[in-house]
Amino acid sequence: MTKEEMVKKKLWRCNVCNDIHYGIRGPVICPTCGARNAFALIDYPEAMKVIIDRGDRLDEVDKLLDLWEKFTHDKPFKLNPDEDFVRQLAKGELANEANHGLKYCPCRITTGDFEDDLDLICPCNFFIQPVYKESGECWCGLFVKR
Amino acid sequence: MNVGVDSSLKGDSMAEDNRLIFFWGRECPHCAKLHPVVNEVSQELGGSITELEVWHSEENATLMRSYKDVLLEACGGSLGVPSLYNEKTKKALCGKNITKQEIVEWAQE
Repeated sequence: MTKEEMVKKKLWRCNVCNDIHYGIRGPVICPTCGARNAFALIDYPEAMKVIIDRGDRLDEVDKLLDLWEKFTHDKPFKLNPDEDFVRQLAKGELANEANHGLKYCPCRITTGDFEDDLDLICPCNFFIQPVYKESGECWCGLFVKR
Repeated sequence: MNVGVDSSLKGDSMAEDNRLIFFWGRECPHCAKLHPVVNEVSQELGGSITELEVWHSEENATLMRSYKDVLLEACGGSLGVPSLYNEKTKKALCGKNITKQEIVEWAQE
């Protein structure tokens, strides 16, 4: 996705179940309630009021490991089998979240441009990057081809 | 070359614009693995490699970003650590597979 396309992203609300979606357009079918063509454009203050702050905090190493395991389910890549290494990366991401606001890959470094740096949040879009295609691993080695 | 995290945040006293720089991140496992190799080469070359930690020093991160034209290519499209930048030759090495031989050649070029 180009930076220009990122700027076009808007907030959308399902008028049946209040799901919030951030994208160029709302989903045709709501992934939560299944309603069809139910997403209407809303603004940021409204979205913030609709979202109830009770989601699970992914702020512990074990929670990240669990999330990553689920993320790889049925995919052509898996979590690196070296658990000590994976735990080190998880600690690094949590440190980056504490110090820099988001779970940036500890083997990258932010550019200072917020929109560009969204590409560095783990899991990143590694499966479309040349490094993964050439080496079979994401940049940091957290995810490896099966 | 100093391995300690706090002292290495600021780098050493070599003249700026003509340094061999090792950019690393405190929480990056590959940087931890490469650290002793860089130390070894640095010692063999008389302590000539400057270590700069980039996730906990905005000053060091800003310097690293200033070399992005070269580093982006070496790092596969986004800035990454561990990476090494030679201010004299403007050549860089980047990533988890850097070898001692590559560092020696990069430093002596």
